[in-house]
Amino acid sequence: MKNIQIKELQLWAMVAALILFLSTVVISCSSTSQISAAKGGAQLWGENCLRCHNAPSPETFSDTEWDVAVMHMRIRANLTDEEADKVVDWLKTAN
Amino acid sequence: MKNSIQLILAIAFLGAFVFNDVFAQDSGQIAELKQIKQDVESLKPGKSRFLLRGYAHAGLEYHDEDDELTFVGGAFNPLFVYQQSDRLLFEAEVEMKFEENEFEIGLEFANISYILNETLIIRAGKIFVPFGIFTERLHPAWINKFPNFPLGYGHDGILPGTDLGVELRGAAHAGNLKYNYSIYAINGPQLDEGAEHEDDIGKLIYGNIRDNNKNKAIGGRIGIFPFSNSSLELGFSAQFAKVGSDNSEFNDIGANLYAFDLSYIKAIPAIKSVIDIKAQTNFINVDDADYPDPEDPTGVETFTFNNKSEAYFIQGSIRPSFVGNRFFQNMELAMRYSDIQTPEGAHWHTEEDQLDIGLNYWLDWRTVLKFTFRKSGQGVDESEEEHKESGNAFFVHWAIGF
Ligand code: HEC
Repeated sequence: MKNIQIKELQLWAMVAALILFLSTVVISCSSTSQISAAKGGAQLWGENCLRCHNAPSPETFSDTEWDVAVMHMRIRANLTDEEADKVVDWLKTAN
Repeated sequence: MKNSIQLILAIAFLGAFVFNDVFAQDSGQIAELKQIKQDVESLKPGKSRFLLRGYAHAGLEYHDEDDELTFVGGAFNPLFVYQQSDRLLFEAEVEMKFEENEFEIGLEFANISYILNETLIIRAGKIFVPFGIFTERLHPAWINKFPNFPLGYGHDGILPGTDLGVELRGAAHAGNLKYNYSIYAINGPQLDEGAEHEDDIGKLIYGNIRDNNKNKAIGGRIGIFPFSNSSLELGFSAQFAKVGSDNSEFNDIGANLYAFDLSYIKAIPAIKSVIDIKAQTNFINVDDADYPDPEDPTGVETFTFNNKSEAYFIQGSIRPSFVGNRFFQNMELAMRYSDIQTPEGAHWHTEEDQLDIGLNYWLDWRTVLKFTFRKSGQGVDESEEEHKESGNAFFVHWAIGF
């Protein structure tokens, strides 16, 4: 019984920590920073799109295909909103 | 005089004729242009669009243990990505392969994501559990630098793979520090109570379609990028769950899992190469329990063990991407060491390590030929199941992402 209470406590503590964390995410953090704001799409592509697999070159896809692929990556690969936007714009002009 | 009037008339007539012709030509072209514009516009995609992608792989393997040379694989994983709007995305992947002479088909994942704001995305359905980096990011055959998985991963592994649930994820900056996060609630692992194989008692079973209790596994991962060029990512994952079924004597048993991961990728012009390092270490702690001893026919005797497992891998690869020679540019040398330890005293106890050394040739960014030599270290494996995850072996595999 004691065991269960401790576990429930742990759980509530975690839920509280989670809510706290999420509120800080939503309130205080932004998708950009001073450093990243100064970077262009090509640079962000060069820094990010090779982290998990080889970086695809712009000619790989058409504009519409890039829209879907980069949105997919934004979610799957945890890209920032800014990275996704700048990279997709660059890929679409360079393909 | 008469002549000059005639001449003027002739010129005027000719001019009108030419003008008329040019005008007609012009208006014909304009009509044509209008038609083309209309045609193009009719082809303009709407807001919803989709991609049909995926990957496939197959190969030839030599396993020292059974001294056999076999063609394997023929695995095909179609991936369907559907963008419903700027905010809503659906992804699903089916896995088709041959296993033990039988054709197997499975739903790898199927989930929808909704972008709530710049830094927050909600996702629900069958997802890759964001526990560490291997399963979610590195396992697809065209990304994985080896034809096999590190010890402990995969469908029969000791680590979370896919599960049903809901997840919040995103990426943001705190000052100049970039980070990403994910927090989830899933059905979670279940304690193997020995219903199917007595020897598996005490193991965790993952990817359960139906939960065995009301409790959901809760977990998350946070990754930070200490350098502003994103070259290094350090991650920490945790998951807590009650794993015993509600209506059994194990209903109190819980499990907590932790993982640390590292990714580092860097172009080093001095050696004209790109180096890539990935590592993940996992700790799985399940509460101790008294299990019925399968060797005791009366079923009174019990046995217990310290139910803690560990698995880790570290891999490094180098690709001379900046050398002049095209052939060498596409070569990659990769090495991976992996190690697993499951509880002493459990019938599934194992202590193993292995080293994979690979030479890869990239035909393009997602098509690769892999030549891998696997050296297994000394290890005990008390489980009776035969498996090809260990033993010295040689692989030649191709993989394509499309
Ligand atoms: C954190 C890891 C990671 C990063 C960073 C990453 N990708 Fe991916 N990418 C993946 C994984 C994993 C897949 C395979 C998805 C699958 O098959 O399930 C993939 C697949 C793809 C595909 C194949 C089509 C698809 O949508 O699955 C494209 C194209 C792609 N990535 C482009 C990019 C681009 C462009 C970037 C940079 C903006 C990028 N990736 C950054 C992990 C990553």
